[in-house]
Amino acid sequence: MDSITTAASVVAAGLAVGLGAIGPGIGQGSAAQGAVEGIARQPEAEGKIRGTLLLSFAFMESLTIYGLVVALVLLFANPFAG
Amino acid sequence: MLMASEIVEDCASHDPLLDIDSSDSSSAVRSDEYLELQFRVFRLTFLLTFFSVGLSGFFWGIQVSASLLFGALSGILYFRLLARGIGKLGTTSKMVGKVQLLVPVVLVLTSSRFPQLDLIPALLGFLLYKPALIIQFLSMP
Repeated sequence: MDSITTAASVVAAGLAVGLGAIGPGIGQGSAAQGAVEGIARQPEAEGKIRGTLLLSFAFMESLTIYGLVVALVLLFANPFAG
Repeated sequence: MLMASEIVEDCASHDPLLDIDSSDSSSAVRSDEYLELQFRVFRLTFLLTFFSVGLSGFFWGIQVSASLLFGALSGILYFRLLARGIGKLGTTSKMVGKVQLLVPVVLVLTSSRFPQLDLIPALLGFLLYKPALIIQFLSMP
């Protein structure tokens, strides 16, 4: 792998993780805040709130995982390594 | 005429604030509901894993099938860690942990290091928990 490809891959990996984590991070924070507030207001609905939070977290975190996987593939199994 | 102890007992059986035992039991019911949701998702994921591993072994061979199985087990571990983190939220922890993100990292590193495993089937296997989640989400009342 030549140096330009290596540099571009490392920069792209950093951007993929960094930019890919911004949106889900904000979303997870606000979802967790809402869930904890909801549990505090309605403790009898705790099971349902936690279940919905689990499902929504799994969907949100998969966006982070996509960025992470792209970054790891660029770093450790680069298809442009030639 | 009711005795004082009977009156207190009667009030305690109807007022949840006075009834310590009922608060404990309702808390157990709430966590049971959460556990039940997790078990439903795990059951669906195992079912999807069973079918997809069988089909991939039939069509593409044992290596793809093993990679898919490895990825699916990683996905189940990831989901278990995520569920544990959310279960602790608000009780013993103030934030959801990020330990579960190590699972895809280890999966990609292992798949790229070992020639017996393929990266794409492993990643697809890792994502097998998502159809189970979608089915569960759609079947929620």
